[in-house]
This record gives sequence, C-alpha cells and structure tokens, in this order.
Amino acid sequence: MRTEETALVLFTILGQMAVGSFVILGIVHWWAVGRYGTAKADKLADYALLAIGPVMILGMLASLLHLGNPVNAYRAVLHVGTSWLSREILLGSLFAALGALFALLQWFKIGSTILRGVLAVIAAGVGLAFVFAMARVYQLPTMPAWNTWTTTASFFVTTFLLGALAMMAAYVLSYLYLRNKDAEDVAGLRDMLGNVLRSLSVATLALLGIELVIVALGVVGLSRGPLEAIQSANLLATEFLSLFATRLILVLLGAGLFAFLLYRSARDLNRERAAFALVFAAFAFVLVGEAIGRYLFYVTSVKIGL
Amino acid sequence: MSKQLAFFIDQTVCTGCKGCQIACKDKNNLPVGMNYRKVYEVNGGGWQQVGGFWESNVFAYTLPVSCMHCQEPLCLEVCPTGATFKRDDGVVMVNEDVCIGCRYCEWACPYGARQFNEQTGVINKCNFCADLQAQGEPPACVAACPMRALDFGDLNELQARYGTTAAVYPLPSPSLTQPSIVIKAHPDARRATVETARIVNLEEV
Repeated sequence: MRTEETALVLFTILGQMAVGSFVILGIVHWWAVGRYGTAKADKLADYALLAIGPVMILGMLASLLHLGNPVNAYRAVLHVGTSWLSREILLGSLFAALGALFALLQWFKIGSTILRGVLAVIAAGVGLAFVFAMARVYQLPTMPAWNTWTTTASFFVTTFLLGALAMMAAYVLSYLYLRNKDAEDVAGLRDMLGNVLRSLSVATLALLGIELVIVALGVVGLSRGPLEAIQSANLLATEFLSLFATRLILVLLGAGLFAFLLYRSARDLNRERAAFALVFAAFAFVLVGEAIGRYLFYVTSVKIGL
Repeated sequence: MSKQLAFFIDQTVCTGCKGCQIACKDKNNLPVGMNYRKVYEVNGGGWQQVGGFWESNVFAYTLPVSCMHCQEPLCLEVCPTGATFKRDDGVVMVNEDVCIGCRYCEWACPYGARQFNEQTGVINKCNFCADLQAQGEPPACVAACPMRALDFGDLNELQARYGTTAAVYPLPSPSLTQPSIVIKAHPDARRATVETARIVNLEEV
C-alpha cells in the first residue's frame, strides 16, 4: 500500500462529502419545509447541518498534512490567475466560511428565512464550484488518466452519493436523539424521516447507476488513450484489480442492495432498527468504497515524460 | 523575442560518464535522492530476421536531462503560491521561502526536473547556475563535461547553429511545454521509440 497521497484522499473525499451533504440537506430541507412546516423541518435538519462543519474542517486539516511546508499554507491562494489549485483552496475556504455563517444564523434563527435561504444557496453554489475546481486541479496535460471529463463527473457523483448517505445517517441520528428528548412529536418526525430515507435511497440508486456508467466509460477511455493512459488501465486490471473489485463490490452493496432494501423497509419504519442499520451500513460501505476509488485514482496515474 | 537561455546537448559525443550530474550535485550540495541533472541510459533493438539469417540491431545511447526552462512552463502555471517564476533571461526559478511544498509542479513537469527536498519540505530545481553565470562562468554541468557534449546560450542562437530538435526518446513531445533545449541527436535516437527502446537505469534516475 502506497501512502504518500493519503492526505489528498482524505481531503478530496471529506471535502466532497461536505459539499454534497450541504446541497442534499438543502434540497431535503426545502422539501420538508413545504410539507411539514419550518419548525418541524428544522428539528431534524439543524443537527444534520451541524455535522457538516467538522467534516469540512477535518478535510481541510488533512490537506495541510499533504504540504511539505504547511507554515506557508496561506500562500496557496496567491496564484488564482492561472492555478486551479489556488482556485480550489480559495473556493474551499469560502465554502467553509459561508457554510459556517449559514449554520450559525440557522442554529440561532438570526435573520429572516429568505435571507438564510439566499445565503444557503450561495454557499451551495460556492461548494459546487469548489468541487469543480478540485476536479480541474487533476486535469493536467501531463496526466492522461486524470485529464478527462470522467474526473469531473466522478468527483460530482462522489459528492452527491456521499452527501445523500451522510445526510441519511445524520437524519437518523437526529431522530434517535430527538425521540428521547421530546416524545410528543415522534410520529410526525418519524413520518418525515421515512419519506426522507425513501427519497434519498432512490437518489442513491440513481447515482450508483451513473457512477457505474462513468467507471465503465473511464476504463474504456483509458484503454483508447495515449500510452500512459493504457498503462493506467493496465494497473487497474492487474496490480490493483483486487482493490478495484473491492471498491465496486462495496459501492454495489452499499448504494445498491442496502439502498434498495432501505427503500422497501422505510415505507412505514415499523422495523426501524433494521432500516437504521441499513442506513449506517450503506454509508460506511460507500464511504470506504469511494475512498478506495480515490486511492486508485492517485496510485494508477501515469505521467507523460520523465 | 526576448532572451531565452537554453541548454545544448550533443548526444553524439556524450559517453554517459555522469560528470555533469555529479558536478551539479556537488555545486548545489544536493542530498541523496535529489538530482537537478540526471543522465538517462537508453537501450533498444534486438535480433532481427533478415532473409535466412538473424542480425543484431541493438543500440544504446545516453541523454543528460535537467530543467528545460520551458517557454510555456506548466509548473509555473499550476504553482499555487507564485513561488515559481520565470526571469527575463528565461530561467525558471523557485523562491524557496514562498513554496509550500504541495508538489503539484512535480505532476505537471514532464521532465522530472522538480525535486522535492525532504529536509526543507519545499521544491528545488535547476536554476541554470544563475550565481555562476552572474560572475561570467558557465553552469557547473557544462563546465564539467569532459566531452564538451553540453553547452548553453540563447535558444535562437543555438537553434541557428544546431537545428531545432527538442525531443528524442524518452523525452515527451515539445508541444506540451515548449522546452528550451537543442539536441544534436544520437544516430540511433531516430529509431528509439516506446516500442523499441527503454530506460535501463530507472533505479538511478
């Protein structure tokens, strides 16, 4: 196992999970407000929102571990004119700041709902731009395996896949916490939770389908590319085949089988323990699967030249 | 066009003695594992059936490679801090006080010129011995070559004298970064391709 890019695996995976969570949470919450009213929707959403901050901060801290001279880290944003790495760090920091500001206002209910909504949309937009910049960082002419549209596409699928599963887990945790805290409204919360889990498990299944298509097209693209791209494809098919297969199996189980079972069992949440176990298992499987996928992304890249 | 300093490599006389590599290492006091100039050894060919008998067409040559001080340096474009800069004379340099050691330039450079210093945590590279040149002396590698296979000067002048060959195997296409290099190619470099030749001293470079 080569460990030199561990920090970047953590940074990209956690950063994408944070953005995906923020966007998915926004959509789910917007839907829940319309159906159940702001007060009720906020109950489950506010705790989930709090979980995103630490994920983003952990990711950014991990990125510092990648640097040989982290004391100078602030200088990473100085070359935004041409460097996608500068843009990535700038947008990532901006997303973290706007997200934190929104979480603060939302938690203490400062400012009008519209103001907070606008801020959330801006933060989500910056977050998505951050993921886009992250993908562009790798699209170097010297790295054929990275220099393709599948890098951008797979980064975004990872973003939404991990976002959906992380938010399912966060909603379940908030529900379990609130259930013991105020018992009066448990039925309402449970209904909302069941609907959220069902919608997000459908989204997860759809994202899995997209991911499999991208992975397949990615491998085909590599095998038709320049020599270095073919070498990358060969690495996937030989030295790293077992890891590649493990990644696919984990994602297929987590985002496929578990999400499908969850969709069925979340209908009325009578057997909620089973449903909740599926949520956490799906999240864990896909998280590990995507992390392995990202590890392979780095380890199978082959540079043009010397 | 403004001045662009460039190296000239005469492959036809290079013996692969690695004097340039050692002179560079000595001049820059580089630790184990770091080299601003590396000498690549290339082998190729084999036995070939010609009519009723077999003929050997093996070949071998060497190629000293350092930073190409490219006209379109990808390392400079991607550097997030601005630590990388290109001087008026075309030399690509790194300001070590500004570098954060993200090593992004290592991915971008198709010549392996970027060298990460484990001790200082930042990137170093060939600076064309700017200090020696300021005193009117040639770069250490050029001065050390016993075969006079290395030279340096303005890119346009070198091209006028020696032609415009800027890549032989295993160098990448010059269209990637427009390297400031002029090569007098080894006669066998013409038939060296990815299919027919390989670098035989990978452990060393």
